[in-house]
Amino acid sequence: MTSNDLRWLAALLLLAWGPVQGAVPAGVRMEPVKAVPVAADLKQGKALYERYCNQCHGNEGKGDGPAADFVYPRPRDFTLALYKVRTTLSGQIPTDHDLFKVISAGLPGTSMPAWKKYISESDRWQLVHYVKTFDSLGIFKDEPAKEQVAVSEAPKVTPELIAKGKEVYRAKKCWQCHGQYGRGDGTSAEGLKDDWRFPIRPVNFTKGWRYRAGDRVEDIFRTFTTGFNGTPMPSFVDAIPSAEDRWALAAFVKSLTRPPKNGQVLKARRIAGEIPGDPYARAWEEAEYLDFPLAGQIILDPRWFKPAHDVITARAIYNDRELAILLEWDDGTYNKGEGGKPADQVALQLPAAKITGDEKPYFVLGDRRHGVDYWRWNAGQGLARFTAAGHDRVTPREAGNVTAQGGYKDGQYRVILRRPLTPSGDNEAAFEPGRFVPVAFHLWDGHQGEEGLKMAISSWYYLLLEPETPLTVYLWPMGLGFVALGGEFWLLRRLRRRRNEEVKP
Amino acid sequence: MSDGRTPIPGPSPSKGEGNFEALRARAGLQRWTFYFAIGLWLAVFAGLKLLVRPPMPASVLTIYMVLTTLAILIFVAANEARFRHFLAPLKAVFEGRVPRTLQVLVLTAMPALLAWGTYLRTAPSFDAPFEPRVVHPEPPASFPFHGKRIAVAGLQNPLRTGGPELEKRIAEGKTIYYQNCFFCHGDALGGDGHFARAFTPIPANFRDVGTISMLQESFVFWRVATGGPGLPKGATPWNSAMPMWQNFLSEEEIWKAILYIYAGSGSTPRTWDEEVKNDKQ
Ligand code: HEC
Ligand code: HEC
Ligand code: HEC
Repeated sequence: MTSNDLRWLAALLLLAWGPVQGAVPAGVRMEPVKAVPVAADLKQGKALYERYCNQCHGNEGKGDGPAADFVYPRPRDFTLALYKVRTTLSGQIPTDHDLFKVISAGLPGTSMPAWKKYISESDRWQLVHYVKTFDSLGIFKDEPAKEQVAVSEAPKVTPELIAKGKEVYRAKKCWQCHGQYGRGDGTSAEGLKDDWRFPIRPVNFTKGWRYRAGDRVEDIFRTFTTGFNGTPMPSFVDAIPSAEDRWALAAFVKSLTRPPKNGQVLKARRIAGEIPGDPYARAWEEAEYLDFPLAGQIILDPRWFKPAHDVITARAIYNDRELAILLEWDDGTYNKGEGGKPADQVALQLPAAKITGDEKPYFVLGDRRHGVDYWRWNAGQGLARFTAAGHDRVTPREAGNVTAQGGYKDGQYRVILRRPLTPSGDNEAAFEPGRFVPVAFHLWDGHQGEEGLKMAISSWYYLLLEPETPLTVYLWPMGLGFVALGGEFWLLRRLRRRRNEEVKP
Repeated sequence: MSDGRTPIPGPSPSKGEGNFEALRARAGLQRWTFYFAIGLWLAVFAGLKLLVRPPMPASVLTIYMVLTTLAILIFVAANEARFRHFLAPLKAVFEGRVPRTLQVLVLTAMPALLAWGTYLRTAPSFDAPFEPRVVHPEPPASFPFHGKRIAVAGLQNPLRTGGPELEKRIAEGKTIYYQNCFFCHGDALGGDGHFARAFTPIPANFRDVGTISMLQESFVFWRVATGGPGLPKGATPWNSAMPMWQNFLSEEEIWKAILYIYAGSGSTPRTWDEEVKNDKQ
């Protein structure tokens, strides 16, 4: 036999073997895996890995590099060949293209970066080859993936499709983990562990920027078709055999997401009448919101590297007497400070005095010369107010004219903080329409043991009470427009008269 | 409609304007002056608005556009024929030598544009106040460090020696970097760590030629040791998230981290020798 014949024989055997090896669930179409464009050069792969990856994934690929304890989720342990973002069926290893894609695009919402910006394409393929060598079971070598799930183009997303998806979401109990509104607050969300025995939380579907496998409808469809290996997130092909139902579900999950809306200035609009105390009231829904990104407090001792929260959403409105700010954030668990865990908290930071020029207090809890006015709401104890002149000089003060109302519903906190516009003393910022007031936010998740300086922080932003537009803003342009129009007519008349005169003689 | 006094611009050459091809060609081009001027103005505007990154503040844009307008007007008015051609389309409109609808359109559009431009000026702006920031301020002569004072002038990295020792120290610096700095400054030292977007100003990008590769290690040591709070006023120390590393790291650890940020980003520090040379020039 020639080597060509041998290859044919092998191919035939494989074809016969395929269906036996792993039964493809009904309703899933498979397609052959694409070829890998770059041949392995393990020496180069090792050099690249030791330059870019070992600090997290460890020299032996066990996910135990020096940075591993400082990030959540933990870097992957490659020795068990368990991968999350795949196009292969549940329990199977990923294709080389899957690995290539993850290494190139990274895993959003985790510390695993997108390497395409820094590593050339062929080097990324070398990393794919090298990462596979850590597989202690030899699966990549013995049984490489030959087929992948074919995802056709998503159907047109219509309100009917989303409504149908909502029904599937309810019937197939996605809400048990992901929560009714997709905020990751389901009844079984707590206490989940992954295959490495590390705690793991269901994904919050509203945060479109955190889907590791992508947030397009096609991506979401693929994610629950293949499942995330090594996690409690199973494949749902057997439970939801109809592709149509799965498309509807994907469309529904997608409809829960929203992109972040960032900005530097939180604008408070003026309303007539009372500011509602109900955070679900119309006036609040209509107020413009902004998302403020948060980071772990890793600047002051003790540092906190794995914050539970990555964003806080704020809205603001004012009337002729007072200003109110609504703070909103998702939290899978409601902690009032019972059961040995600290309570969930949020804090708003303002300068303690009128600021001059652009000089501000230090952005975390102020400094000796510039204090901050600190309003902290605690899910168990309500409002407390402090003045801080540095993190080690925090002194309680009377809440005075500041009030707070807060509550937890459907996996989400909403807290309203309010204060009269006119300051009651010297160590308070004045809220005047048109004046920019620096503002910053701190957030704690008691469930993760966050309290004190173990918190998520933001930088300084601005709060602005939008002044009512004075009439002159419209009068000037209108006036000038009319003057110009008048000028034009004068010119027209003059030209016409001159022409008539020229024609006459 | 045409009474033949001022030609309406168009590609057809007018009669009696010189016999030479070149002249005629120039005159042919000149009759488009008005449209060139408008086109040029729009092109400059679009270029400044769309191509300049980061976007310039509105006040700066206004200054550039006023200058552009003046330059175009001066150019147009410098040559009488050109000026005549420039005014021709406007005259044609005012004298009614264009279709009625076009005349009405232009005559209403001009005041409307003016009113809109004025509105843009008078409308209140809610952009955050512009806060200029000195990125690389003059370092102090000396600064407090772990209870002593360190002089910046002449300060050198004591660990930057040759040989296999250096490799080992860089590797140690890498560990320090990934346990302290990468959250902000990024996995690949690109200033894009997973916490970076929460901070303004954003963490320095060590791969950028405008950061550590143009700095001396003495300056970098001062910045790392004293962080944001150590900055002088013009560098807005209250905003910088850069921690004060002398609170967490020893002198040796800071020098190792500095070795790594240069090695990892493939750059080299500026040296005192270079500095002296530059000063002499
Ligand atoms: C800053 C730490 C960090 C660095 C550096 C890093 N990773 Fe990761 N990586 C992670 C984390 C964290 C995860 C797991 C995220 C999760 O489980 O959601 C991960 C997961 C992975 C996965 C598994 C993806 C999946 O679908 O399950 C691969 C493959 C991977 N990394 C490859 C690499 C390669 C190759 C490099 C070097 C170029 C690298 N990583 C560098 C943190 C890092
Ligand atoms: C047993 C609890 C559980 C159930 C039930 C469950 N999930 Fe999940 N799901 C998880 C967990 C845990 C994760 C996060 C895994 C991780 O962090 O690696 C997850 C992740 C996901 C993701 C990945 C998002 C990303 O990062 O790309 C999607 C999509 C998803 N789930 C959809 C669904 C859908 C749709 C259903 C219902 C058909 C469902 N899940 C049911 C626990 C569950
Ligand atoms: C909390 C985020 C954060 C961490 C952690 C952090 N930095 Fe920074 N760093 C910044 C920010 C923001 C800037 C830019 C603002 C400034 O110049 O202060 C910066 C600036 C710098 C600069 C100045 C670069 C220049 O061009 O002037 C150096 C050097 C530096 N960092 C080194 C380090 C080192 C070394 C570490 C770890 C030991 C570190 N940083 C950790 C946020 C951080």
